[in-house]
Amino acid sequence: MGRRALGIALWVAMVAAILVVYAFAPRLVSDFHSRDLAEAGIFFIAIVGLNLLTGYTGQISLGHGALMAVGGYTTAALMVHEHWRDVWTIPLAGLTAGVVGFLIGLPALRLSGLYLAMATFAFAVAMPSLLKKFSGLTGGGQGLRMLEDAPFQITGLSGTVTIFGHSMTQNHFLYYLAWGIGLVGFLISWLLVRSRVGRTFRAVRDSEVAATSAGINLAWAKTFAFAISGVYAGVAGGLLATQNQIVNPLTFTFLLSIVLLVGTVVGGLGSLPGMVVGAFFVEYLPDVSTHVSTAPGVPDFVYGAAIIVVMILLPTGVGGLLKRVARPLTTRLYLRP
Amino acid sequence: MYLLAGALGALALATAATGAASETGVTSSQVLIGGTTPLSGNASAFQSVAKGAAAYFRWVNAHGGVNKRKIKYVYKDDGYDPSKTADKTRELVQQEKVFAIFNSLGTEQNLATRAYLNAIKVPQLFVASGATTFGKDYKQYPYTIGYQPNYRAEGTIYGRYLAKTSPKARIGVLYQNDDYGKDLLAGLRNGLGKKAKLIKSKQSYDVTDSDVRSQIARLKAAKVNTLMVFATPLFAIQSYVYAHKLAWRPKVFVNAVSSAANVMGIASAGAGKKQTEGSISIVFLKDPTDPKWNKDPGTKLYRSIMKKYKGGNPNDVYAVYGMSVAHTFVAALKKAGKNPTRASIMRAATRLNVKNDPFLLPGMTVRTTKTDHFPLDQAKLQRYHKGRWVSFGGLFRVR
Repeated sequence: MGRRALGIALWVAMVAAILVVYAFAPRLVSDFHSRDLAEAGIFFIAIVGLNLLTGYTGQISLGHGALMAVGGYTTAALMVHEHWRDVWTIPLAGLTAGVVGFLIGLPALRLSGLYLAMATFAFAVAMPSLLKKFSGLTGGGQGLRMLEDAPFQITGLSGTVTIFGHSMTQNHFLYYLAWGIGLVGFLISWLLVRSRVGRTFRAVRDSEVAATSAGINLAWAKTFAFAISGVYAGVAGGLLATQNQIVNPLTFTFLLSIVLLVGTVVGGLGSLPGMVVGAFFVEYLPDVSTHVSTAPGVPDFVYGAAIIVVMILLPTGVGGLLKRVARPLTTRLYLRP
Repeated sequence: MYLLAGALGALALATAATGAASETGVTSSQVLIGGTTPLSGNASAFQSVAKGAAAYFRWVNAHGGVNKRKIKYVYKDDGYDPSKTADKTRELVQQEKVFAIFNSLGTEQNLATRAYLNAIKVPQLFVASGATTFGKDYKQYPYTIGYQPNYRAEGTIYGRYLAKTSPKARIGVLYQNDDYGKDLLAGLRNGLGKKAKLIKSKQSYDVTDSDVRSQIARLKAAKVNTLMVFATPLFAIQSYVYAHKLAWRPKVFVNAVSSAANVMGIASAGAGKKQTEGSISIVFLKDPTDPKWNKDPGTKLYRSIMKKYKGGNPNDVYAVYGMSVAHTFVAALKKAGKNPTRASIMRAATRLNVKNDPFLLPGMTVRTTKTDHFPLDQAKLQRYHKGRWVSFGGLFRVR
């Protein structure tokens, strides 16, 4: 009884700590840096979703940047063409990307491993051209600039946002929005992983043959995994569009898909806590690379080298490291990691 | 636009309220300016524009600065992604509290921040893009001004030259599918005038494409003998290489953005010297690889600054551009008065008459007026001969 109570108390303390950090982090950094934190939160959401697909269901996707594009452009198009307020577009951004995610999950029914990666990669490569083609909706090569074409749909245009009588700067609002949704998404993901659906996902990942013989409908499981990870990516894309107040094909090249996968792998496939580290890694690495040196070509080199070094040192990602560190605690306190 | 300005005006007041006597970014000893430039990604060749300017400012500071103030120039990486440009520009304004945004690179990139900067009345000075809109739309965006001869005017020069010298040419155009490429194409049509039907084929490409192989093939198939390359360096090099692979040697007009000596050098190495020989472009700077300028005092100054203040590769004409625009900024800052404000420097930038820029071609003036917001509107034609650009003919006014 004693040890178990201690274990539960530890969990409660951890959750409380997370909420305290969430509430007060913006006070620790300058107002503008809350924006960078918000962007890390955006990556966190996309990475949590991708982790569900790749880490837990074992389906490789190199196309999630394109799903972020779907979400981002849904938000931008709704703001500019239909005059929706930015925050209210986010659920629809997620839903649209979820539907598209479901559709790109269909090839997964026949392909696996490298071939699935290539199929999703093709989608990512095609996305900028697709965006330019439907220029009536997407603004073509110029993209959509919400500050010019939909300024009154932007929350916090004047610099302050007031919610339930509580006032904050626009940058803080973006942080609370991104990480608030991130924590909720994390919770949903955590519950999903522990539920029957999560076990179905892991069964598909570990052995498709065994899963089928256990009565699992592979088609349903795979497409659902794609769809739900698409929803996360779409929400992330919508938040990115809201934050930057601009969408442009150059933001959503295949490199974004690779960045998301890097974040997921560095965070640790199949580990939810590691995703926070993964998100911060992909958020801050470009700046760090530029700080090392601005000589031509060097920032890109440093970026690639950093990823390689991390993969060599931590092949199972940060999540793997956390699991190893936490194992003594979890075995002694009868807790699962 | 006015409502937007009003809404963001509250923000401007909030940020300005902190400094009672002096302007944001200006102290008694320093003027802080900032911009964005691609330090990573596949447009990173353009960063010399920022680095050349930075070296020039260091030289100016070593000689006392302007009105006893040193110029601190900060540039951030946007990877040529307009949403990163928006983010980093906000950082420069809100976090670093710069006096003005200076020398940010890229057409789409500067368009991404133009509305924001104008709404909060932060000068967007000497944008490193030749898109016509930066000089044309000053009534709507009074805090924005460009620098280089605009793309439409450049296209017009090529059109006029072709109409006069090659009335029977079969012209094909490879152009980037954005404002930059379309501006050049519109200028070409404008310059050709009645002979616009000489354009037999137009092939566009996207910056996110991997290559222009199929576009070059289609241009060859249309029996084009004069190829207009309205493309950024990576794709300009490719057009030479793929034309060479198809054993096709049209007369090439390459736009100024891709005419830098190192770009042409790579193209010549990849496609052979015969392929690039005879290419035509425009020039408004003293190209450091043109032997004509070896003894020129302006070029000598350029080389000494590049060496002493570590500006990068001295044979890179983008660095010369950087020094020229920095020189013009210094002129505007001097004109802005002993206690410069954002409004006063904007006024100075639109009342320029600088005749002594050591980095521009002789005879060129940096001139702006209340109604003329194009600082540089002169250029010469130049021909690529035996690995060097040689200018010919007179100085055109490119309006």
